[in-house]
Amino acid sequence: MTMLVIENLHAEIDGKPILKGLSLEVNAGEIHAIMGPNGAGKSTLGYVLGGRPGYEVTDGSITFDGQDLLELEPHERAAAGLFLGFQYPVEIPGVSNVQFLREALNAQRGSRDEKPLSGGEFLKLAREEAKKLDMDAEMLKRPVNVGFSGGEKKRNEMVQMGIVDPKFAILDETDSGLDIDALRIVGDGINRIMRKPDKAVLLITHYQRLLDYVQPDRVHVLADGRIVRSGGPELALELEREGYGALGAGVEAAVGA
Amino acid sequence: MALSAQAWRRPSVPELLDLPSTRAEAWRWADMGALSAAAALAPIARAEHEEHFLDLPGARLLFVNGVLDEVHSVLDRVTLIEHVAGDHALGRHAQGTGWSLRLDTDAAADPVQVVHVATGGENHLPAEIVLADDAVATVVETFVGAGWSNRATRIALGRSARLQRSVRLLQAGGFVSLREEAELGSGASLVSVFLGAGQAGSRIDGQVVVGEGGYAEMGGALLTAGQQRQECAVRVRHAEPNGQSHQLWRAVAADTSVASLAAAVEVARHAQKTDGEQSLRGLLLQRTATVNLKPELEIFADDVKCAHGATVGELDTRALFYMQSRGIPKPRAQAILTRAFVADALDRIASEPVREAFAADADAWLDGAL
Repeated sequence: MTMLVIENLHAEIDGKPILKGLSLEVNAGEIHAIMGPNGAGKSTLGYVLGGRPGYEVTDGSITFDGQDLLELEPHERAAAGLFLGFQYPVEIPGVSNVQFLREALNAQRGSRDEKPLSGGEFLKLAREEAKKLDMDAEMLKRPVNVGFSGGEKKRNEMVQMGIVDPKFAILDETDSGLDIDALRIVGDGINRIMRKPDKAVLLITHYQRLLDYVQPDRVHVLADGRIVRSGGPELALELEREGYGALGAGVEAAVGA
Repeated sequence: MALSAQAWRRPSVPELLDLPSTRAEAWRWADMGALSAAAALAPIARAEHEEHFLDLPGARLLFVNGVLDEVHSVLDRVTLIEHVAGDHALGRHAQGTGWSLRLDTDAAADPVQVVHVATGGENHLPAEIVLADDAVATVVETFVGAGWSNRATRIALGRSARLQRSVRLLQAGGFVSLREEAELGSGASLVSVFLGAGQAGSRIDGQVVVGEGGYAEMGGALLTAGQQRQECAVRVRHAEPNGQSHQLWRAVAADTSVASLAAAVEVARHAQKTDGEQSLRGLLLQRTATVNLKPELEIFADDVKCAHGATVGELDTRALFYMQSRGIPKPRAQAILTRAFVADALDRIASEPVREAFAADADAWLDGAL
């Protein structure tokens, strides 16, 4: 079943075109990796999917689970089952992780006509998820991401993903800032939470190393705002070995642009 | 309760009220026009008072237009006495019969709750809180209704006496002016927290003199919306060595409202080892709103620590999107972030039921403003 269909997507920031006709299809049960050089538009793709203000779609369409994603507000996209893992998770002083996540989960449940979780039920769930990702449960009481190291922030993103249990995750450089042990824990987390027949993942990454833990079904190269090449997991290895420049004329032109 | 525009009548001769001029620096942000209008407010029905008393033991004083409603009040240790007028520009209007809490050495009273109901026009009420050495008290005051409510409260704390004072301004219209004058003996502690979460204009005018090793907190949160104007003008004076003070104020301004925070700390020449902290922060919910900040330090001693910070900003758009992307609708995300912004001011209230009641008032205000 096709979960996400992106067709001819054009998007710009402050009038500057970033995505220039990007098309992509992701089926349920699949994990896709998006790789590409700096400035290719990888993070922009993530933000456009999440609905971040300031990222203007000028052409094309995004269909998620049969719905027009671009018609939905960011919180409605979350309720529809979309999760955006941030490259730079935001610090929120004065708001505890527990309060933030409980609000988020119950808002999502509310929009799906599900009963809100009580404080006790929620804490139990949050503690279990934190434990699975080897995060100290005490950190749940702390303000969101405040004073967290880069690795702790990324782990916290995965705890959030485990708690809201989305259908589709876009993970933007979730591997950056992680040491070897944390990388394995986060990789295991992605597999455990998301590798299911009715779910799918878009992994945005620079490097092969996360893909050692989370085997992609498809690998795409994004350059100059378009998918310029797609292939199986072997494409990521080839990129690691040869670099983006060796991928052929299409990529070279795009990278050189 | 909203007031219709028709309910406001500008008095034809506002000078009759003998108000301070806003040309004076200390009154530059004061909204004397709103005060005059409030004083001329036509009579309105009396607001419910029961819900404003918290479930606490101790004295319950209900003042309607500055007059004690004996039927609905429990005086406990509070008495009514005659007060002499002070010399403050607004405070001096509050003279005559008012309430008094006097505690002997080592005494600890149950909390004193005072609910002030205004039903239009002007009303004035003096008060005093006098704690002898080592006495402990908690006073909670709530202002509801509409009109000009003017108060002068004198506080005197003996050696190591402790007073926790929480005041919330919830009037639906009009103006509340408070004049607070406090004198702290050696080692005494005064924690005053104010919350402006109604639709009335306000001026919180305070002066605290801190004695040897004394501890003073004077702070709070002013939440303004519509065309409302609220301000605080407070001054903490360290007269003796080793004192500590914190002035932590938060202002949230929506629409075209104006919130002004003026806080001064003064350290006398021999008040060495004074530790003074001042934190004034404003949050604009719309760019049409205004927050004025005026931190002031006058330090004559040379061995002191005085930290101060003053900032005005908007809600963090990155944090808003982060919260939305997790499923929280934008208005709720704004409310959570704004609530977090004022939380440190209200967290200074030690009594849990009082703190929770004040937090609920702030939440109710946010629900209306966002």
